[in-house]
Amino acid sequence: MTADDLFAIMPLLILSGGSVLLLLAGVVRPGGYLYGIAGAFAAAALLWNVAVPGDAVMPGLTITSFSRYFSAFLYGTGLVALLLASDYSRRRGITGEEFPATLLFALTGMGAACAANNLLMLFIALESFTFAFYILVAIERDSETGGEAGLKYLLNGTLSAALMSMGIALLYCSRGTLQLAELASLPATEPLYLTGSCLILLGLAFKLSLVPAHLWTPDVYQGAPAPVTALLSTASKAATLAALLLFIPLVNGWRGIHDIFWMLALLSLVSGNLAALLQNSIKRMLAWSSIAQMGYVALALAAAPSGGKASAVFYAIMYAAAGLASFGAVSLLSDRNDRDILEQYRGLGYKSPLAGAALAVSLFSLAGIPPTAGFMAKFAVFRSALRNGETALTTVAILTALVAVFFYLRVVVTLYMKPPGEQPGPDAPLTAAGVAALTIPTLVTLFLGVYPQPLLDLLTHIMA
Amino acid sequence: MSIPILTILVFLPLAGSLLLIPVWRCRTLMQPIALGVALSELALALWLYVSWKGLSAAALQPGFLLVEDTSWIPTFGIRYTLGLDGVSLLMIMLTAIVFCVGLTVSWNSIKEKTGLFLAMMLIMESGIMGVFLALDLALFYLFWEMMLIPMFFLIGIWGHGRRLYSTIKFFLFTMFGSLLMLLAIIALHLLHAQQTGTPSFELQELLKTDLPLETQLWLYAAFFLAFAIKFPLFPLHTWLPDAHTDAPTAGSVILAGLLLKTGSYALVRFGYTLFPLAAQMMTPLLYTLALIGIFYASLVAFAQQDMKRLIAYSSIGHMGYVAIGIAAWQPVALSGAILQMANHGITTAALFCLVGMLDERAHTREIAAFGGVWGKMPIWSFFFLLFAVTAMGVPGLNSFVGEFLILAGTMKSSPLVAALAFCGVVLPLIYMVRLVQEVVFQKERQPLSLEDLNPREISVLVVLALLNVWVGIHPAPLLEMLHGPVQLLTGGLP
Repeated sequence: MTADDLFAIMPLLILSGGSVLLLLAGVVRPGGYLYGIAGAFAAAALLWNVAVPGDAVMPGLTITSFSRYFSAFLYGTGLVALLLASDYSRRRGITGEEFPATLLFALTGMGAACAANNLLMLFIALESFTFAFYILVAIERDSETGGEAGLKYLLNGTLSAALMSMGIALLYCSRGTLQLAELASLPATEPLYLTGSCLILLGLAFKLSLVPAHLWTPDVYQGAPAPVTALLSTASKAATLAALLLFIPLVNGWRGIHDIFWMLALLSLVSGNLAALLQNSIKRMLAWSSIAQMGYVALALAAAPSGGKASAVFYAIMYAAAGLASFGAVSLLSDRNDRDILEQYRGLGYKSPLAGAALAVSLFSLAGIPPTAGFMAKFAVFRSALRNGETALTTVAILTALVAVFFYLRVVVTLYMKPPGEQPGPDAPLTAAGVAALTIPTLVTLFLGVYPQPLLDLLTHIMA
Repeated sequence: MSIPILTILVFLPLAGSLLLIPVWRCRTLMQPIALGVALSELALALWLYVSWKGLSAAALQPGFLLVEDTSWIPTFGIRYTLGLDGVSLLMIMLTAIVFCVGLTVSWNSIKEKTGLFLAMMLIMESGIMGVFLALDLALFYLFWEMMLIPMFFLIGIWGHGRRLYSTIKFFLFTMFGSLLMLLAIIALHLLHAQQTGTPSFELQELLKTDLPLETQLWLYAAFFLAFAIKFPLFPLHTWLPDAHTDAPTAGSVILAGLLLKTGSYALVRFGYTLFPLAAQMMTPLLYTLALIGIFYASLVAFAQQDMKRLIAYSSIGHMGYVAIGIAAWQPVALSGAILQMANHGITTAALFCLVGMLDERAHTREIAAFGGVWGKMPIWSFFFLLFAVTAMGVPGLNSFVGEFLILAGTMKSSPLVAALAFCGVVLPLIYMVRLVQEVVFQKERQPLSLEDLNPREISVLVVLALLNVWVGIHPAPLLEMLHGPVQLLTGGLP
């Protein structure tokens, strides 16, 4: 390993080293300051990725501009989640170093998933951040729902890991190598190879919570602490998308991959949006909506030959901003107890204007209404899909988007148009961390809605 | 021209809404600021009107007085293109006037969350200005959707009655149409890119696309659905009575005065020009729906108990004439239709203002509650009578001019439709006479203490009345302004 290589993987070293350091520091002196240190590490990794251009190839990892920028985006998401978590933990009295340390560890895994160059590394990276989430989901030890959610996530996650490792084994059986580049160089035709690929896809679909591998999502999102849900629904999915983008070339030229994404998109769009319509709990509504939102990503992936990959990444970035803002607002509006039933949000838009506005803007973005990023992202996805000739599926997508408008609006109506009634407002005013955690994704949402060109240029550059 | 006047026109209200933030708590300061912004918009629009002949002499693009065009999102091929011609200039003047009216008329009636209300009004003004000026379809779509959000809040927060139901219904109806239109816009863009190799959403570029009839029909159907919902044409109108009735006065004024016009304007600007063959084929459908709308809405209006609802239904009927004028697609009828859009904007805005003023005093809009208002509120009654008579289409007032041109033009291309529409002209007479008779003239039914209008209200109505009479007596300058663009629009057709 040369010095250049070391430089290239420095962000991963910063994050994993930071994680260990936090665990040690927590033993000596636990407290809220650990969140600040964790944030500094995440910020350092982010800046390093953006500022120090260094491509490198080493066993297991290939650092390219794709991996650098994509992981920078993931670290940014993690940073916002850390801000949310610091505020949340203070109010809930979750002290201790586990939370920030585990979160940094999860970020390490995500960073590695973007850079993996062989299947084993990809698997390890994916599982290492999923493993971190097993802990994070159940981190509130005295919460009843947290434990249940953690167990459900663990069982489902183990199953998907088993499927994926089986798939990798089949691929190895068929070709005798695990290097992504070597696997991608031959056309995918052997039945064994295709079976293995399907198993890997199913495992990834689980992490993206695409229908039919979605059933864990509502329970886990509802039970987990809101900042963890924010990260789980955004960064975890985006990192899985990165892994998926690395995996897709392996089955290039196989028509079946299009059909699989087509089916996943259809099922996710329809069932996600329809089920979200029936929810009274805001977290469950957002969970079902996140399933539907991933349907749009799958739609973009079905249109991969027509520039769909860049659209999928754009969509994931939009979703990350909206997901962070919406779950963040839910997290900051909840005090000692979760504010989960929709009716508890009556008139809150006036009592806490910032959180209300952030929630409203992110919901408008998820609904795809300009001038928010959601519109531009849907525009990009539909453009790729229509160009690829997916007229029928795109029409379904747009009609289900109309259904989605209704349940997103319901929340906005509750926030601004219903009288407050007996509901208590939030106890404490927002802290600086909370304000930042809401403002950053909201501004990103608005900026990308008005002027997405810089991001599109960057995507063209790194996806080439 | 180096000063981007059109951009200022679009974004000045948006900037004005930001200007409200520093004085958020102080209602007495915010209202003059918002009105000041609206008045400067009006001044700009009037300045453009005064100088349109000079601009048209210096115009670069044929038919357009001013065009502003810069790159915006090259990856998608979206440009920021605004263009002003006679048609959009008329619509812009209407927009500027109606917003001044809306802000003035709600001066005292909006007591809660005034800052938010004013901000929403200004944001909506930006959106509507954008719709009337955008020449890039993606940009147009952006503004088209952008004006929904403030209207959603206006009805939902400051409305009456079943406001939540109405506002969600309004939003879903309009979204349904627009989403399909979005697909059609993207599809058209892709077809154009396939043929020419350059991705573009610009109207002038897309006009060059060579479309087979079947494709044209599909795309036009999607556009038509979006515009017909806004218009609103007969089976798609059901959102309108609810939204108009439950909106606050300013909301109803803007809905009836402007939002409906965005539908008809877009049909003229985009629907007919982009898909001429399909539009011609669908003409019988448009005629039929418009005629059904005229008769059906007038009959329903006759049965209403709520004054606001009655006027809302009358809007559907009057917009039916606009639809007929567009469907005839013939210079005289089209000029009439476009002029009638402005006329109807003025007239219904005034009627909704009048009903709102009565509602503020009596706290009811039931026709049955009133009677003998002439004795208590002579000035109100005078204006009410004036605008009711206008809605009936009496010569010398603006509606007559528009409807006459529409029917005269339609007579040439389809006499049967014109004959049927002529019969429909009688209907507003019936329900308006009933309304005026019961409210203004009949014996007092309930003792209501009603004060007559104050100077603020009178000034609004005087302005609207003067416009009404001016267009009614001397429409020539406006028609002259419409002449060029209308010729250009209809020129491509036999």
